[in-house]
Amino acid sequence: MKKILIIIKREYLVRVRTRAFMIGTIISPLLMLALITLPIFFATRGGGDRRVTVLDQTGDPDMFAAIKRGLEARGEGDDELNRRDPGVGRTNYTLTQRVVAPGEDLQAVELQYQQQASQDPNLTYLVLRPGSAEPLEVEYFAKNTSDFSIGTLERAINDAVSTLRLKRAGLNTAQIAAYTKRIEMKRNKITSSGGVEEGGRADFVVAFIMLFFIYMTVLIYGLAVMRGVIEEKQSRIVEVLVSSVRPTQMMLGKVIGIGMVALTQVGVWALSALLLTTLGVSVFASRGLTMPNLPISLLIYFVVYFVLGYFLFSTLYALVGSTVSSEEEAQQAQIPVTILLVVPMMIFNMIMANPTSNASIALSMIPFFAPTLMMMRIAVVNPPLWQILLSMLIMVASILGCVWVAARIYRVGILMYGKRPSIAELGRWLRYS
Amino acid sequence: MNVIELNHVTKRFDQFVAVKDLSFEVRQGTIFGLLGPNGAGKTTSIRMIVNIFAPDEGDVLVMSKHVSPELQSRIGYLPEERGLYKKMKINDQLVFFANLKGVNSADAARRVDEWLSRLELSDWKNKKPGDLSKGMQQKVQFIASVIHDPDVMILDEPFSGLDPVSVSLLKNVILDLKRRGKTIIFSTHQMEQVEQMCDDICLINHGTQVLIGGLKEVKRRYGKNTVILDYEGPDSFLGDDLVKHHNRFPNYSEILLNDGADAQEVLKRALAAGARVNRFELVEPSLNEIFIESVTGKASGSNGGVRQ
Repeated sequence: MKKILIIIKREYLVRVRTRAFMIGTIISPLLMLALITLPIFFATRGGGDRRVTVLDQTGDPDMFAAIKRGLEARGEGDDELNRRDPGVGRTNYTLTQRVVAPGEDLQAVELQYQQQASQDPNLTYLVLRPGSAEPLEVEYFAKNTSDFSIGTLERAINDAVSTLRLKRAGLNTAQIAAYTKRIEMKRNKITSSGGVEEGGRADFVVAFIMLFFIYMTVLIYGLAVMRGVIEEKQSRIVEVLVSSVRPTQMMLGKVIGIGMVALTQVGVWALSALLLTTLGVSVFASRGLTMPNLPISLLIYFVVYFVLGYFLFSTLYALVGSTVSSEEEAQQAQIPVTILLVVPMMIFNMIMANPTSNASIALSMIPFFAPTLMMMRIAVVNPPLWQILLSMLIMVASILGCVWVAARIYRVGILMYGKRPSIAELGRWLRYS
Repeated sequence: MNVIELNHVTKRFDQFVAVKDLSFEVRQGTIFGLLGPNGAGKTTSIRMIVNIFAPDEGDVLVMSKHVSPELQSRIGYLPEERGLYKKMKINDQLVFFANLKGVNSADAARRVDEWLSRLELSDWKNKKPGDLSKGMQQKVQFIASVIHDPDVMILDEPFSGLDPVSVSLLKNVILDLKRRGKTIIFSTHQMEQVEQMCDDICLINHGTQVLIGGLKEVKRRYGKNTVILDYEGPDSFLGDDLVKHHNRFPNYSEILLNDGADAQEVLKRALAAGARVNRFELVEPSLNEIFIESVTGKASGSNGGVRQ
């Protein structure tokens, strides 16, 4: 037992001390943080200042005033508007009016602005004219017509026009505010225990992130186990090791040691994710967004399924590593194991669409799929506890079975060089005393 | 007292019999040469002694007990195929191997320092194997096999890849270990080294024992039937009636005589043929000759064949 601890310690320290681990552990959360916050940051900063010339042929002085008020008031305590357009409330519009008399040739004026705008990227203009079918036609011209803030512009114009129309219909400001107040639809999820909890939209994101995370981490660290076995085999350290420890101890020591490296990394990431969410929640909230909140139980399930999945797959990867003599050979030999890991990634959409169907339940019970698919179902639908426990039980049993098989193959394989063994040979190795 | 005993040991892999009914004993405080051609079953035998494999039949006893994980820490094993972790400092690897053999880290650190200085590697303590020459790595591997001060050592080709200075350094270390009462199994294809170092030998071929006994006794068994002749001139004077075979080295000839042939006759014929004889000596056959004859059933070369 003591020897296995020595192996675990070596496997752990030798990896944790590497530069790659430091970078992967510390830099990637920062990168993730940047990936999540920067777009929000930039989006909420909006487009800065924008000057818009309004070519107004409506002949209606109130129209321009209403639009100007609607746009320039944004970001200045107009909560109703800001909440509706959280990401883009910060663009500062400066509107100037160019009245086009009813008799004037609007097209000629437009042409003139068009030519100017082609030289000056900061110049944009808005054309308001009485339409033939509609009372008002609005067109916007600018070099860049695809940034977020254009939606704001459009909504502001719409709001201004509706307000104006309502006012003309005889309503006062208070009435207008009351009648046009938007409602919000709250999403509530019914849990399996019969309760109700808020949320729902975020579930998909959370489920997918967890699914992907388990897949990536199990794959990366499973392959690390395989490479570790090959390294010891290729550099012929195994023979010295097996004269000191049992091959099974070697294998388990390696699997556990590298698993702890994975947990360390995941732990650091989880911690930064937690920080990010608490930090993020306040940032998001100030922008009127709701951050997906992670219930603690979900995090616990995540860790459990990650550990189970890692053990199952890394044992298989250790088995593969012990039967090959080089990394090149391993490329081929590891494919069947990796396929078992990839399949859930290809069918998760199906499960997501119908997470409570019998097929989904059955698939999520298969030990190789459970870490990803059951985890996803937990995130989306809260399956009954017995299903979760059953899948864990199946996984533990499978892990024990795999460890037994892998250990028997491993102890023979690590001392065999040359030709890769056939399945029949592997079968015979199982029976060696 | 016998430190290692193999009693009628057989080991099979599927249909292949790697070791067949092998028995030998290794006395305490001696160096025992385990010899044999490639694929003879040496490594399999050694692996059974260090408890990597279990025998299918027979008993492997170390210090009168069946080998067990506990006994493993009393054995030091330097395998022929050996290596080091690429990404670990020399010091860390040696402490790791010592820990695995049950030495605590404080003791291990002290012993690593001692051994590194003894094998002139102290400057490399905090380097990684990639920075060391192959010979230095071999010495580090040797340290890994003796760092836990084992009672029994199994050294498989310990000198391969070493320069003469390091070979002599390591030889002295091994002989010193023997003087301190350690028991050593030494496996090599270098017969001169066996002649220099071993007390007893066991030669195996195809998994079975071909030759066993004390080195001197084995050689005596073959008798003084070999002539070392250093001469200048033609070698046509040597006739088939006298010579079983003839190894002509650049500086001298080793002539194995037919049974009953008289060595003086060789000298007579040489002088009669006009050869100038600088040296004439009647000796026991070299272990190299004995090895080749035992393994192939015939002598190493044909008459007049030139061998290095």
